[in-house]
Amino acid sequence: MNILLACNAGMSTSLLVQKMRQEAEAQGLDATIEAKPLNKALESVADFDILMLGPQISYAKAEAEQFADGKPVLVIPMSDYGRMNAKGIIAEAVAALEA
Amino acid sequence: MAEGSKGQAFLDRFAEVSARIGNQIHLRTLRDAFATIMPLYILAGLAVLVSQVVMPMVLTGDALTSAQVWGAAISLGTLNFAAIILAGVLGYCFAVNKRFENAIACVVVGISAFVIMMPQTIVATVGNAVYATSASDKTAATVSYAVDSFAGSLNMPDGYALTGVDATGAFAATNTGANGLFGAIIIALLAATLFIKLSSLDKLKVNLGEGVPPAVADSFNVMIPMLLTLAVFGLGAAVLAALGTDLLTLIATGIAAPLKGLMNAGPWAVIVIYTFANLLFCLGIHQSTISGVLAEPILTMLIIDNMATFASGQPVPQDHYMNMQIINSFALIGGSGCTLALLLDTFLFSKSKSSKEVAKLAILPGLFNINEPVIYGYPVVFNLPLMIPFVLVPDLLIAATYGLTCAGLIAPCVVQVPWTTPPVLSALLATAGDWRAGVWQVIEIAGAMAIYLPFIKVSERAARKQMELGEKGSKAADVHTLDKTSKGSVKAA
Repeated sequence: MNILLACNAGMSTSLLVQKMRQEAEAQGLDATIEAKPLNKALESVADFDILMLGPQISYAKAEAEQFADGKPVLVIPMSDYGRMNAKGIIAEAVAALEA
Repeated sequence: MAEGSKGQAFLDRFAEVSARIGNQIHLRTLRDAFATIMPLYILAGLAVLVSQVVMPMVLTGDALTSAQVWGAAISLGTLNFAAIILAGVLGYCFAVNKRFENAIACVVVGISAFVIMMPQTIVATVGNAVYATSASDKTAATVSYAVDSFAGSLNMPDGYALTGVDATGAFAATNTGANGLFGAIIIALLAATLFIKLSSLDKLKVNLGEGVPPAVADSFNVMIPMLLTLAVFGLGAAVLAALGTDLLTLIATGIAAPLKGLMNAGPWAVIVIYTFANLLFCLGIHQSTISGVLAEPILTMLIIDNMATFASGQPVPQDHYMNMQIINSFALIGGSGCTLALLLDTFLFSKSKSSKEVAKLAILPGLFNINEPVIYGYPVVFNLPLMIPFVLVPDLLIAATYGLTCAGLIAPCVVQVPWTTPPVLSALLATAGDWRAGVWQVIEIAGAMAIYLPFIKVSERAARKQMELGEKGSKAADVHTLDKTSKGSVKAA
């Protein structure tokens, strides 16, 4: 499972990505998780299974979907993002990939 | 009630319009391009600091002059060439955002079109006249005379002094550097847009037949659109030259200069833009959606101007006091909304357990001006009592810092530092070591804490009341969230 996180400058998602990696390891998931600024994320979305956007760039969802070629694009809920709820966010990614 | 819904309608409309701005491809490209070349400006800033502040502390005389060549060389390749580099980066970012496959061709078109529009003759400042023993070998033993010493023999009319000479075969650093940035933006984006449009026309594709390898065919397919695009720009340059001007000069004097002037006609324009930008973040959308488009390009150009001015040892003119660094170092301490003050208040005065937890999580990134955990976790978003200081505090700090700079109480910003630089250090670096700026930043934080505090109290009281009122409803909500997470983790396992 390859998860790509994107935000405005790739700063705040890089906070989240560490917590998500720890959480994925604790759950024994085989997951590659990376964080990038939006424009870089759009370039490399092909290498991932799912793209998750920080709520601050929720407006870019439609645009990102064009780049994603049918792969799921989710906007991380504000409260999960603010509290860095890695468990909840991974669960959402898993649910979206299995849907 | 009716008023509330009207306010809500306004906020919805505002968020919608901002999102549209954030998605507009040329504006997005502009933001991406500036973000891409930011490291170059940061390097330039460091080089300027080292050669103008550090080196004079330890060196003097000829040794200092020789050592400062290092800083000057870096300035030459960064500040004095920023517009050319930006033109190429814009071409690339535009191609990526347009999902145009041949991005490198857009880099070529962007740079080439920009240089095509430059004046072919520049006015060079007069230095010394250099004579060589052989005209063909310029490195042969040379002597140089100050031009002044024989200016009389140039048959100048009475009352005139020689100030410069027309030179061809040269680029002016003002065009390739800071002054050309606005021209680079407009020309590179126009050129890349035209090029991609022409590339999509089947009629312009060269049909080489079945046996030709696809890569060869591709290289021919961009050729005609590239030729046409650049030819159009060449035509434009010729027409403008016939009229006695050039596009770069027109853009610099007609667009860039008025915009820079607007930003420096008091702090008002910048305050209005950042009011809307910070308000937007209160609705959950990143503030740079607005500020990154309306303010940052111009403010960045102003600080680049200042770096170049400082590098050449000149004082910064007052019409450059407002620049990007006033925002990044002095107005958004701890991130948008100056939330470092909110966090410090929470540690010292808050009784809310959940607020303190968020503050603990958010303080470390907050020191580096990253504050999404505060904005979404505390939360500031859609939290009316906190939205007020979140918008108000940066505005006040912009006005106060600008005022203090104009009053000469703190030095103007002359160096662009990374926006992730922690407070006090960022003020010291930005002002090339003015300790008063560091002290001012501490005062700013204290002032911001004082403003935030009553709003935090109101916010906490409102949250408590809501919890008491929602006691009944909350049970259902708890079950719902529990249900959601447990379902998720079962699936994950």
